[in-house]
Amino acid sequence: MDKLLEIKNLKVSFYLDDKVFTAVNGVNLEIINDRVLVLAGESGSGKTITALSIAKILPANASIDSGEIKFEGRDLLKIDEKSLSKIRGKEIAYIFQEPTAYLNPVYTIGNQIAEAIILHQDKNRKDAAKETLKLLGRVRINDPERVFFDYPHQLSGGMNQRALIAMALACKPKLLIADEPTTSLDVTIEAEILKLLMDLKKELKFSLLFITHNLSIAKKIADKISIMYKGEIVEEGACESIFGSPRHFHTKELINAYQKIGKI
Amino acid sequence: MKKNYSLIFGVLIIVILSLIAVFAGLISPYDPSAIDHDNLLMPPSSQHLLGTDGLGRDLASRMIYGARISLSIGLIAVGIATIIGLILGSIAGYYGGFIDTLIMRFVDIMLCFPTFFLILAIVAILEPSIFNIMAIIGITSWMGVARLVRAEILTLKEREFIQASRAIGASNFRIITRHLIPNAIGPVLVSATLGIAGAILLESGLSFLGLGVQPPTPSWGNILIESKSTLGVAWWLTVFPGVSILITIMGFNLIGEGLKERIG
Repeated sequence: MDKLLEIKNLKVSFYLDDKVFTAVNGVNLEIINDRVLVLAGESGSGKTITALSIAKILPANASIDSGEIKFEGRDLLKIDEKSLSKIRGKEIAYIFQEPTAYLNPVYTIGNQIAEAIILHQDKNRKDAAKETLKLLGRVRINDPERVFFDYPHQLSGGMNQRALIAMALACKPKLLIADEPTTSLDVTIEAEILKLLMDLKKELKFSLLFITHNLSIAKKIADKISIMYKGEIVEEGACESIFGSPRHFHTKELINAYQKIGKI
Repeated sequence: MKKNYSLIFGVLIIVILSLIAVFAGLISPYDPSAIDHDNLLMPPSSQHLLGTDGLGRDLASRMIYGARISLSIGLIAVGIATIIGLILGSIAGYYGGFIDTLIMRFVDIMLCFPTFFLILAIVAILEPSIFNIMAIIGITSWMGVARLVRAEILTLKEREFIQASRAIGASNFRIITRHLIPNAIGPVLVSATLGIAGAILLESGLSFLGLGVQPPTPSWGNILIESKSTLGVAWWLTVFPGVSILITIMGFNLIGEGLKERIG
């Protein structure tokens, strides 16, 4: 039960002109090695901002006011930008909600995945390209040789998300942060991507922080669920306790939301 | 796709002109500075296609070599301006804040000077060699590019794929050079082609005032100024260089307009 990541009393605010909006207010989280933590909550509850704080890739007008983010014992908020950029992508990787928007439109898929490899590993272009083809196969893209030379706009959202997963896992990170990775995809693709993620997790043994507003996904994959509401964690626990005896009204709302859809 | 006639026509003009400039040595019928006392101010004939000037030099040959000078001044001056503009504009746009203010106020200051008189003043101090003229036109005309690039970067840096490249651990330098500038290059290319036309015109203007390329090196501008004293008797010495400046500038402007339609 080793703790990989420990967030203590995190507070993040947005500064707009002279107004201050606190998006995350005193969040505590723990991610255990090789486990899945699902962070759930409605839009604007601060899930994404919490996730972006971990590797400090927040938007320019947001700043971390206080707290501690301990990754393998090191406080990420106290180390300099240069050492942080060595952790980003290598130790902590992200995948996001709109896969196509998160790929650079002017480069091919292969080129972008190879960049992720070259950034952190001592490899030349040729080896990186070979590695990229292997990765594309690993995320179950049928014809890696073709997709390697495709541009993001030529591929579907599901394919692009696979490419982004390949990019995120290129350097075998210890923690993968998935910010609503299936929200923009249709239901069948969603199931495929989730299965792929969980299979890769078994294979590569990374910990997963999965962000969603959809508790039916949480139920399938979570070891532990934290419910966020208005910048605070309002309830947390294992699946059984969250679904069996929800205490906070927002948890009940989220559970109702997907059960209602199920009934239609 | 609709046929882009202005682009096709512009490229055609410039390709022909460039070929003439590159192969000047092969196609020019005479040595451009060979003086022939028996054939002063000869009108266009089968021997001298475009006639001869006051020293008996073949106008066609002088204009062919002049194309080399005029085009290379246009290209290199704009190259210098574009590089300076790209560097300063992207730094201002990406970092924002104080650096942005500093660079953009410097741009405003540079724009306050009437460019032509600034160039005149600098050329008067330095020696008006071809290299100096290229450099001076370059360093006095980068401000438009800088503003353009800054505006592009400001919108591009908020795009998701920039966040994604930060998430894989790319440095600021890498994000600017690999991810931002290639996405901003379209409008820059348009402004560069239009800028080449401006630079050629500027050099002609400088030559006309005697501060451009110095004789005996032929440039279209200084052929034009030499024709001034014989305008009454030798119309060809004024018309042909004037028309070729017109056609060249039209060519670059057509390319610029065509590109704007296509990518800008």
